[in-house]
Amino acid sequence: MNILLLMIPLSIVLLIGAVVAFFWAVDHDQFDDLETPGLLPLTDDPPGDENRDE
Amino acid sequence: MSAVLPTDHGVWQRQSLQRHVVHRRDDGLAETLLLVEGLRCANCVLRLEKALTALPSVKRVRINAASRRARVVWADDRASLQTLLDCVERAGYQPLPLEAGALDDARRDESRAALKRLLVAGFGAMQAMMYASVLYVGAIDPLGEATRALFRWIGFLIAAPVVLYSAQPFFAGAMRALRARHLGMDVPIALAIAIVYGASLIAAISGHGEVYFDSVTMLVFFLLIGRYLEMRARHRALDLTDALARATPTVAQRREADGRLQPVAVSELRAGDRVQVDTGALVPADGVSESPACRVDESLLTGESRALERAQGEPLIAGSLVLDGPVTVRVERTGAETTLGGIAALVSRAQAERPQLARAGERAAAHFVSLVLVLATLTAVAWALLNPASGLTAVVAVLVVSCPCAFALAVPAAITRTLAVLADRGVLVTRPDAIEALAGATHVVFDKTGTLTDGLHLGSIELMNTPAGATGEAVAPDDPAAHEALGLAAALARESRHPISRAIAEAAGGRVVAQADAVESRAGDGVAAIVNGRRLRLGRRGFALAAINAADVAAASTWSRGGAVLADDIGPIAVFHCGERIRSGAVDAIASLRAQGMTIEIASGDAPARVAGIARQLGVDHWQGGLLPTDKLARLQELRAQGARVVAVGDGINDAPVLAGADVAVALADGTDMARAASDIIIAGERLDRLAESRTLAQTTLRLVRQNQRWAVCYNLIAIPLAATGFVPPWLAAIGMSASSLGVVLNVLRIGRRRSRHKSPSGKQDDLASA
Repeated sequence: MNILLLMIPLSIVLLIGAVVAFFWAVDHDQFDDLETPGLLPLTDDPPGDENRDE
Repeated sequence: MSAVLPTDHGVWQRQSLQRHVVHRRDDGLAETLLLVEGLRCANCVLRLEKALTALPSVKRVRINAASRRARVVWADDRASLQTLLDCVERAGYQPLPLEAGALDDARRDESRAALKRLLVAGFGAMQAMMYASVLYVGAIDPLGEATRALFRWIGFLIAAPVVLYSAQPFFAGAMRALRARHLGMDVPIALAIAIVYGASLIAAISGHGEVYFDSVTMLVFFLLIGRYLEMRARHRALDLTDALARATPTVAQRREADGRLQPVAVSELRAGDRVQVDTGALVPADGVSESPACRVDESLLTGESRALERAQGEPLIAGSLVLDGPVTVRVERTGAETTLGGIAALVSRAQAERPQLARAGERAAAHFVSLVLVLATLTAVAWALLNPASGLTAVVAVLVVSCPCAFALAVPAAITRTLAVLADRGVLVTRPDAIEALAGATHVVFDKTGTLTDGLHLGSIELMNTPAGATGEAVAPDDPAAHEALGLAAALARESRHPISRAIAEAAGGRVVAQADAVESRAGDGVAAIVNGRRLRLGRRGFALAAINAADVAAASTWSRGGAVLADDIGPIAVFHCGERIRSGAVDAIASLRAQGMTIEIASGDAPARVAGIARQLGVDHWQGGLLPTDKLARLQELRAQGARVVAVGDGINDAPVLAGADVAVALADGTDMARAASDIIIAGERLDRLAESRTLAQTTLRLVRQNQRWAVCYNLIAIPLAATGFVPPWLAAIGMSASSLGVVLNVLRIGRRRSRHKSPSGKQDDLASA
């Protein structure tokens, strides 16, 4: 059972790492727009093409 | 919205103007916030982002499609604000720089904080559950005392950030409520969290009793999910400040003492200034016309459907559209003192005074949690008399097993599901309470211009010079006698975008019309062209008959007034009279709302005679015309005083106060921003008939919410007595708690199921367009 004394602190460190990474992502606008990036691969107009197709 | 002319962004070069809209960042870069007209979908966002980032000076671009705001950080020593604005315009959108103060985005900050809290609670709940399950398994297969203590302390460690950080909004809300001396939803929740956490801490320290760190983290997590969903829905509403910014121009052309025109910010205008307003531009401030004559469109402000003639010395109001300029206006009132500013103030006051709809769900949950607290206290007292040692365990078990989260989730989960289903059908709900209010509404008050009607249609044609020599004979547009005149008029009408021209072109339909040559269009007057070798003029009487001698014109003055005249060089050919066109679906919408037992009314700012005509066509008995925004609001309050729950449907700026004051406010997606900002529900496309459908769905939702609550009560009737008597071990309490929450969530998935799930290909586009 002594392995627990290593594994549990390790898991908590990982958890803190995950929270820090998430906070960083939130603060860097990663969650402000959840819709547009999903469509990114679907657009096929080359950069600089400004024709509107609506 | 009114058509916006291609703008010259050169005026933004002026330092005094730029100062208002450009924020200097600490790193030396400039930052500005643009309100972008025309952003409708995720695709537009991408296109605009691409265009802006292609500029070498631009460092960062963030675009929010929902609020239609673009935040741009750029090096302004390498490119001017004008370059930026021109780039947006070339991409096909209309940029409007917002005041720099708008850069602190309160909504963004709130949404980010909520997301972080939710995530910490989620991580915490999962971890706490994992460590707690070791303790639960240990209950069956006993662990060593040291290991148990270790897991308790780990549980405490994990729960600490959840309770101290994630649950902060509940504690803060409870403090606010207590300071205001009333018991809200937050007080019992904060109390339950504090007691369960505190008791578990005592158990962890003392080494006996049960710990409930998993349950308390899960409780916070579930409650935060509910709050987060609610916040997301709330943030979809349009900002009133943005709406006002868009209804008025930002820049005005001021006539200086030396006669030059100088572009200035509208905020710099003072009473007594003279400004020039061009054709198609908006009047920047309330004032008096100094030009001999002009025509303005006030339809968005007053509901008046026809263009108004304004002679010299007559008042012009800010936000009205000049149809034939340029007009010189002597400014009398600016900013908040204008009619438009007054309407905006009325909107915010009506919104603030709107009776806070007691949210049945939240109220029930607050009652429920209070009841549980009373039961827990009773349990504590009973155990204190019988066996003080295990009293705390039983009290905490009561608090945990009773699971306020099933209750707290019942409403947000059902509402969120309903919002998603409605959005799929092109109905965007921005104030979640509106669902409940819509289900119980009794009256619908419609605005006329722009809501029940959209534009004009050709009503009748008066033929002047028919081969038979008949004069002043009025015929329907599809009458064969009118065929030739209509064909000629349509050839000219196709060259103009005036509403009457469009109605004429539409009436001609797919008919082959002759080609118009040498087209000459005069804004505000009409169109002249050569068709089949004949020189024709279509437009206002004076314009159309300009080539004819005075005697004929005098004779012509006996015709009925109004309408567009078609004439050639010899004499008048026909007069086209237009009526308002009823929006497609309006008839169905009114029929189905009436079938649901609702009373329909029309309240319009337009002339009573025109309102009466439309009311008759739609079969609506109760109508009022010539109403000012305040009159409309008064009518609404009168209805409400009689006990009615009122749905208001409108689209104009003049409807905004009445929308803000109604129980449920519905705006059309193509209406003004002001109306949309004041409303709870926005209907995309032209589907007024969606209103009745939405009401049915809202009623289903409420039924399911009540069902969920009854279900939670039954569960608790069984669980609480068992917990109070000490029969429920912590693992069972945790399972009961998550299972009841899951049951609630699964149940609400039934909302919107029964209908066939057919979806128009443009469905997604619709709801984005109105977002």
